[in-house]
Amino acid sequence: MQGTAIVIKLLGIILQYGLLALLLYFVYKLIKFMTKDSREIREDIYAVTEISNEEAVLTVLEAADATMIGQRFAFSDEISIGRGTDNDIILNDSFASHHHAVIALLNNLYVIEDMGSVNKTYVNGQAITGRQYLQSGDIITIGSVSFEFGR
Amino acid sequence: MRSKSLLLIAVDFLIMFAGLGIIMLGQYPKVDYSPIPWALGAAVLGIAVQLFLIKGRFNDDIWIFPMVLFFSSVGIIMLARLKPILCVPQLRWLIIGMLVMVLVLYFSRQLKNMMQYQYILGICTLVVLCLSLLFGVEIGGSKNWLVLGPFSVQPSEFGKILLVLFLAAFLSDHKDMLKEARKKFLFLDLPPLRFIAPLLVIWGIAILMFVVQRDLGSALLFFCMAVFMTYMGTGSKSYVFIAMCFICLGAVVSYTFFSHVQVRFNIWLDPWQDAVGQAYQVVQSLFAFAAGGVWGTGFTHGHPGLIPEVHTDFIFSAIGEEFGLLGCTVIMMVYVLLFYRGIMVALNCKKELHTLVAAGFSIALFTQAFIIIAGVTKFLPLTGITLPFISYGGSSMVSGFIMIGLLLALSKKERVNGA
Repeated sequence: MQGTAIVIKLLGIILQYGLLALLLYFVYKLIKFMTKDSREIREDIYAVTEISNEEAVLTVLEAADATMIGQRFAFSDEISIGRGTDNDIILNDSFASHHHAVIALLNNLYVIEDMGSVNKTYVNGQAITGRQYLQSGDIITIGSVSFEFGR
Repeated sequence: MRSKSLLLIAVDFLIMFAGLGIIMLGQYPKVDYSPIPWALGAAVLGIAVQLFLIKGRFNDDIWIFPMVLFFSSVGIIMLARLKPILCVPQLRWLIIGMLVMVLVLYFSRQLKNMMQYQYILGICTLVVLCLSLLFGVEIGGSKNWLVLGPFSVQPSEFGKILLVLFLAAFLSDHKDMLKEARKKFLFLDLPPLRFIAPLLVIWGIAILMFVVQRDLGSALLFFCMAVFMTYMGTGSKSYVFIAMCFICLGAVVSYTFFSHVQVRFNIWLDPWQDAVGQAYQVVQSLFAFAAGGVWGTGFTHGHPGLIPEVHTDFIFSAIGEEFGLLGCTVIMMVYVLLFYRGIMVALNCKKELHTLVAAGFSIALFTQAFIIIAGVTKFLPLTGITLPFISYGGSSMVSGFIMIGLLLALSKKERVNGA
C-alpha cells in the first residue's frame, strides 16, 4: 500500500514537471519550425516546377507584376503565351495580345511563332517575323514581361 | 520539413495525456476512465487531419492546425480538472470541430466563390445577429443564446464569421468609392453616406447587442473587427477616428442610462469596494493569478474552483493559477504566433478579397483572446466572451474551426500562371 502511494506520488511529480516542460517545448519547436519555414518560402519561388532533361523552361526575368518574377514554366512540346485565359502562360499585361505567341518543338529544336500580335514578340531585342529558332539563353520579350529560354 | 509538424501534434497530445494522467492519479483508487477513449479518438483524428494537411491538396499552411490543437489540449485538461462532467462533451466538440474543418477545406473552392456575394452575406449577418436579439434566451447573464431543442447555440459566434466575410466582400468591392469619393469635413475625409451606411449599421448593431443582450464582450469584438477591417480595406484613418467617436458616445450614453454598464465600469475602476459582492468574480480571478506566481501552484494543486464561471470565461485565471506566469506567457505567445501566421497567409493571397478575409479571421481570433485575457486580468473592464479553443463551448469551438478551415483554404497558393 505504501509502495503504490510512493509510485503515484512520484509519477505525479514527473508528470507535473513534464507538463510544464512540454508547454515550453511546444513553443520553442513551433518558433524554430516557423522561422525556418518562412525562410524556405522565399527560396521556393525559384523552384515552382520540377524540370527534367526532356523539357524546355521559360523563366520570368522581368514583369510589371512582381509576383511573376522568378516563376518558371516547364514544357515539353508546346506552350502558348497571351492574355487570353486559354493560354498556358496567361499574362495580365495590356501590351500582350490574347493569343500572342506559341513556342513549339520542331525537328528537335524549339521554334517561336508570333500569332499576329499587335505589339510584336522580341527575341534578344529584335522583333521577330514569322517563325524563329530558339537557343538556350535567348531572352523573349512580350509586353512588359521578359522570359529566359532554357533547355 | 513538413512532416516535422507531426512532432508538434504529438506534443499537443502528450500535453493532453499528461494532464489527464495527473488527474487520474489524483483520483486513485476510484479512477474515472471515461475521457480516455474520446481522447484517443481525438488524437488519432488529429494526426490523420495533420497528415491530410501535409499532403496539401487544399492548403499550404501546416503550422496553424498544431497551434489550434495546442489550445484545445490545454482547454481539455483544464476542463477535466475544473468541471469533469464537461470534459467528454468538449472532446466530442473538438472531434466535431476537426471534421467540420476538413469539410470546409473540402468545399473550399465553392466557399471561395460564395465569398463574392456581399449583399447576401450582409443580409445573413443581420439575420443571424437579429435572431439572438429577438429570440435570445438568457443563459449565464447574457441574453445571446438560441435554444433549439436539446441544443443551445450562440448565434453571435457564427455571426462573427459572416461579418468578416461580408465586410471583406463589401470593402474590396467598394474600395475605390470609399477611398476617393470624399467630402472634406473639418480635418476628416468622408465618403458619401450611402457608402458607409453598411458600416454604420454594423456599428449600430454592436451597440444594440451591448444594450439589449448585455453581451459586452461580443459587442466589443464586433466593433473592433469592423474598425480593423475598415482600416485594412481603405487605409483611411478617418474611419478609425469616426469609430472612436462613435464608441465613446455609445459608452457615455450607456453609462448614464444603464445600471449594468455602470456596475461593470465601477468594478473595473475599483473592485475592492464590493469584493464579496458584484466584484467577487474579478477579485477571485486576481487572487488566482497572485496565487500562481511565476511557476504556478502545479496542475490540480490550485483552488480555481472558487471563481464563478471558471470553465468558460475565466479559464485563463485557472491556467494562471496552476501554470503560473510561465503557462500564461506560453498561451499568449501561441496566440501571437497564430495571429502572425494568419497575417502571413493574408499577405500571400493574390486577391484583395481573400487577403481581407484571412486577415479578418486572424484579427477576430486574436482580438477575442485579447479582450477576455485583458478582462480577467482587469486590464480592461470585464467582458464575458470565450477564450478561443480553450474555453468550454460547442458554438465557439465549431465556429473557431470553421474560421481556421477557411484560413487554411486561403493559404493554398494558386498555381495559375500569371497574375
